[in-house]
Amino acid sequence: MKISLGKVAVLLAAWAFGITPAVRAQGDRTNAVPEWRTDARVARSLHMDLLGRPPLAAERARSVGRPVAEVVDDMLASREFWQRWFEEQLYYFLLVGNFRPQSERVLAIPDELAAGKLDPRVAIHRVALSTSFDQRNPGADTFVTVVMEQLTGLEVQKNTRELDIGKKVYDGNPGRFLGNDGSSQADVVRIAVESKAFAKHFVGREYERLVHKRPDSAEWNQAAGEFGRDPNAYRALVRRWVLSDAYRARVEARVPVSNRLFVRGLFVDLMDRLPTDEESEPMRQALDGLSDPAPLRSVLVRMMLDSGKVALPKRESIRDPAAWIGGEFERLFGRPPSDVESAAFVAGWNEPHCRVQTILCALLSSAEYQSY
Amino acid sequence: MTHLHRREFLKSTAAAAALGAAAWSAWPSAAQAAPGGTTRKTKRVVLIAFAGGVRSRETFGSDANVPVLKAMAAEGVLFTRARTSNLGHFGAALSMFTGQSEPRGIRENARGSEPTVFEYVRKDLGLSAGDVWITTAGGEQQVNYAYGLHPEYGARYGANTLDGDGIFNREFKSLLDAWGRPKEMPDKERDLYRRLRGALAAPRGADGRTNTAESAAQVESYLLQELNRGTSDLTGANAADGKALRLARNLVTLFRPKLTAVVLQNADVAHGSYNGYVEVVRRNDAAIGDLWTAVKNDPELASTTSFLVCPEFGRDRDLNARRGLDHGDGSEDLNYVSCLAWGPDFRRGAVVKDDVMVIDVAPTVCDLLGAKARHANGKVLPSLYA
Repeated sequence: MKISLGKVAVLLAAWAFGITPAVRAQGDRTNAVPEWRTDARVARSLHMDLLGRPPLAAERARSVGRPVAEVVDDMLASREFWQRWFEEQLYYFLLVGNFRPQSERVLAIPDELAAGKLDPRVAIHRVALSTSFDQRNPGADTFVTVVMEQLTGLEVQKNTRELDIGKKVYDGNPGRFLGNDGSSQADVVRIAVESKAFAKHFVGREYERLVHKRPDSAEWNQAAGEFGRDPNAYRALVRRWVLSDAYRARVEARVPVSNRLFVRGLFVDLMDRLPTDEESEPMRQALDGLSDPAPLRSVLVRMMLDSGKVALPKRESIRDPAAWIGGEFERLFGRPPSDVESAAFVAGWNEPHCRVQTILCALLSSAEYQSY
Repeated sequence: MTHLHRREFLKSTAAAAALGAAAWSAWPSAAQAAPGGTTRKTKRVVLIAFAGGVRSRETFGSDANVPVLKAMAAEGVLFTRARTSNLGHFGAALSMFTGQSEPRGIRENARGSEPTVFEYVRKDLGLSAGDVWITTAGGEQQVNYAYGLHPEYGARYGANTLDGDGIFNREFKSLLDAWGRPKEMPDKERDLYRRLRGALAAPRGADGRTNTAESAAQVESYLLQELNRGTSDLTGANAADGKALRLARNLVTLFRPKLTAVVLQNADVAHGSYNGYVEVVRRNDAAIGDLWTAVKNDPELASTTSFLVCPEFGRDRDLNARRGLDHGDGSEDLNYVSCLAWGPDFRRGAVVKDDVMVIDVAPTVCDLLGAKARHANGKVLPSLYA
């Protein structure tokens, strides 16, 4: 049998990304839209959603103009994709701050996922068995309630019998929880993670996290079935979702930037690097403590711009203000300025008290920078 | 309990009062703005969710733990049987603010569908965001108390929320020290900055904002001032609760909001330590005492401010295997808590033993201030007014 090099490449890619024939067919159909190429806005959105940050300067230069599917594939093949996924799961379980897991076994999850040694279901199982999860959710009632709500999506108020059984199992008594036998706290987690409800709930919340809307029932059921049969299908599901028309519409509509993304984005946009945990966590925690974080975001923007630590261009080095301002709009908003905006900013630039910081502060503290 | 020295308090008060007079004077008062209005003496309400799960046994059932709350009850009304819903801390506290017992996930980090007391009050009385505040102790989840997703209300009527421990902690203060505080913009540059912001097209899909540009700038000033006031340095078993109460005290005395809510959380240490839990209850009682004293020492506040203090639910009847107290046994200790009201319109020294509901708190606050909790299921607390 003769197999072409192209076909070998496709099969290898499918193997590497865990893409099933059904998923590949979907992906092929999506890829059949040839005109969807990466522009500045798409590059920014994809990096924010898949890697939790805007593109670095070099990545932006590499991405723009390429087919979106290629850019997505590069990101899905990276370890950073799994690190982002892991951090998002910890945030979902509110295992942040003092409750952030410290054990090597849990912290190794992104590496093991990237190496294909672990699938997302086993990874979440490991998180839910961690000491941090136990400490975050102390006592039988809280623990079983959280397991039911966050792992399976069940509403405990409508499933009080299961809650009561789960609490007995948690306390070491034998019981049939969610249709399976158990007699320990670990069994409560295992039974929940292995349930059909887990797959449905997991793909539903992941779709919503990435596409920023609830999946329609057909996609939800199909994805839950694929994930339930093989949790390694997760990466292929993500590929399908971000190449879908629904995601394309979401990029056009824009969505609010979370505080986590804002902090990481600010460092990338101003310093072309990610913040350290020591830099990002106090900022994220402080922003999360405000119902309207805009005033504090503005404080942080000004703090960084005034710090002397950001490599800003010297005013006299900017020979073509319109071009520089246009470039900053593209970089930070993913679009060029309108004629009105360009005129206003160039006029502002020509005022004697305007600094580089003034222009950047106006862009970075604007409502548009708070969405992507 | 870390007590604030009088000199320190007066110093911070003077500095911030100057800021308040200058920067916050644009915020309208209820008297200027309230279309509904009310003839009651109460013009301001402090609502304390004594949350984290606190039984009546450790408060009004104990001689020594809560001398302040007992003193307040002696001058106000004590409801000894306030029925709760075991919806988890988040859902139960949220129900206190919405007047509806809607099931919410314990770790659900999302807004409720019903309007909160803050939205009712802001919308009905035409208040600005600077007139309605919540200080919290429970981190990320609790900012969701600020407003719900009801289409007639929402972010534009939300409260300003400050999580004491989230913002006023040593790590954040150290970060600001390391990077340097933002420099004050010269007037001409600030004017240009505003014009540039104004020239930007409004983005599609932009969310409604709780603060206007003006009130956001005022919040920004306040945050930078507050970071210098020592709140970040509070420590101890109730550090997060203590910060929430300290912030509330500063807000109430300096800026006199119409509605200030405080959400406590540290009592939940009870899962692992009964003694730790009792210590938190005692410390929080003392911190509430600081807030109450500050109000009583200000003649205007003393004659126009009402307090409501209520846990979101209690705790189990019996100790668990760790000699702690969980919350899930369905006992009377869990399902009924004590709720107190103190203020110029209330009866004095009254004890109401009839069943009321924790969800009655939101309609009561609205009634006091002249607003209406249209979507709440709770009712105004009975036998309350003099």
